[in-house]
Amino acid sequence: MAEIRLQQIDACRYRIPRDEAAGMRTDVVVYASAALIEQIRKDQSLVQAMNVATLPGIVGSSLAMPDIHQGYGFPIGGVAGIDIECGVVSPGGVGFDINCGVRLVRTTLTEADVRPRLKELIDQVFRDVPCGAGSEGRVRIKRGELDDVLLSGARWMVENGYGDLRDAELAEAGGALQGAQPSKVSDRAKERGLPQLGTLGSGNHFLEVQFVEEVHDDAAARAMGIYEGQVVVLIHSGSRGLGHQVCTDYVALMNQVMPRYKITLPDRQLACAPARSEEGQAYLGAMAAAANFAWANRQGIMHFLRGAFRRVFGESARLDVVYDVCHNIAKLESYQAGGRKREVLVHRKGATRAFPPGHREVPLAYRQIGQPVFIPGSMGTASWVLAGRQGAMNETFGSVCHGAGRLMSRTAVRRGKDVRQEQRKLEARGILVRSESRDGILEELPEAYKNVDEVIE
Amino acid sequence: MSFDLLEHPADIGFRARGTTLEELFANSAHALVSIILDPFDIRPIQLISVPGTGADRESLLINWLNEVLYHVDGRRMALGTFNVVSVDETSVECVAGGEPRDRDRHPSRMGVKAVTYHQLKVARTADGWVAEVYLDI
Repeated sequence: MAEIRLQQIDACRYRIPRDEAAGMRTDVVVYASAALIEQIRKDQSLVQAMNVATLPGIVGSSLAMPDIHQGYGFPIGGVAGIDIECGVVSPGGVGFDINCGVRLVRTTLTEADVRPRLKELIDQVFRDVPCGAGSEGRVRIKRGELDDVLLSGARWMVENGYGDLRDAELAEAGGALQGAQPSKVSDRAKERGLPQLGTLGSGNHFLEVQFVEEVHDDAAARAMGIYEGQVVVLIHSGSRGLGHQVCTDYVALMNQVMPRYKITLPDRQLACAPARSEEGQAYLGAMAAAANFAWANRQGIMHFLRGAFRRVFGESARLDVVYDVCHNIAKLESYQAGGRKREVLVHRKGATRAFPPGHREVPLAYRQIGQPVFIPGSMGTASWVLAGRQGAMNETFGSVCHGAGRLMSRTAVRRGKDVRQEQRKLEARGILVRSESRDGILEELPEAYKNVDEVIE
Repeated sequence: MSFDLLEHPADIGFRARGTTLEELFANSAHALVSIILDPFDIRPIQLISVPGTGADRESLLINWLNEVLYHVDGRRMALGTFNVVSVDETSVECVAGGEPRDRDRHPSRMGVKAVTYHQLKVARTADGWVAEVYLDI
């Protein structure tokens, strides 16, 4: 394919016009600096954003966040708002890890408290929080109770002894998306997910003990209970095998029914059905159930994390949720578009919702400052805590990026590297790493990622 | 077993070959299993039927590999043999052999979320068949 035509709109935005490829119903808008755009051009992500522009019912532009990189069907860092009445829902636009997301936990400890006992703490967390490919959880749950988890998400966990009641309140959608239909989740998906409740998983999922290095906005930090020197923990995980199987099941179903709806697409991984169709509604019910499983999962991880902190620092070590956001989801939201209010199914694939101050879906604790947004960096760089602003509502369906964005493949970053040597390099910088898998450490080394500071700016 | 690993910016894929479609499917399954776990000490003490259907050859391969993935990730089976009895345009019959996964004898390598259609290729070659498949990690 010839080089894609990119028109620079301003210092941070580029456009691919809709006439760039057959079938595009709208433009692509990429949010990136000149330096980032050169990196973005190196993989297939722009072609994928153009493919997203072919989805029936797309409203506004096919949007690409600054951390965009090549994914499956949708690019990772892709956002598409689709009219619920005349448009489609695409399971690939949510991804295999439904409600993969990030929870920030603040502690009552400071760096000075933790640094001298960091190794002891990290080893305790590694023992207490199940992680790694195929790891099994310690949540006591029977098969018959799983549907309750799929309906009530994080709340089921706290009601069954895995957390404090307040934990569940400070999450996007209150930790449970409405409209979940456990009956639309296959037995296979339930079988795959049940033993994994309360486990971190593998790949780029992580739990990171961090400290607050710098506060840029005192009022926002105060509202979030954050201060310089404080120790916080970032948890990144999703719906585990349950969500993966839901997506697999519905991509297969959508591929089957697309001819009946006369939909043709350039990539079968984008398979979709009208959002109001029987198949579209079934997917949305199953997706909400899987999203609720993910919130329950992160709640379980937090419960085991609390136990690890208490074992090392005693009962006075208190851990509270700052907020919990998802970055792989489709949500029904209202926007002004084309001079009228429209109900839009916003697909966020590797993108974070960032609602502004005053929005009714932002919890009261944050309504003055805007919804908290967490952008994890790599193992070697900082992470960012931000707050939503009105600009995102006007331009990106209230969405921003979700991380640094990958730059190198897993195999390329591993090549010629020795895990012990890499661990020693990180330890020399005060960064201790534990993983079930040797390759897992190498694949997630800092050089595999873009510079998070550049992505944020 | 004839396959190589392929690079992807975020994930991983494989290229499998076979002189027949049956061999192509079996080698694709071996590639998938070897990405998930260390396959060198799998005893085929349990035999299970792993069938698949699809609208065409591409969707057949993806649906069937997702079926294999379900047994390995969902049913926690280490599968080491794939006797692919028949493959036509829309269905595959296979009997796989293996045993329950054992952390020590089949150490986990990568968690595979799904087998995808991304840049999928199933094609005839001078020697038989080749497939390129990407996995979500």
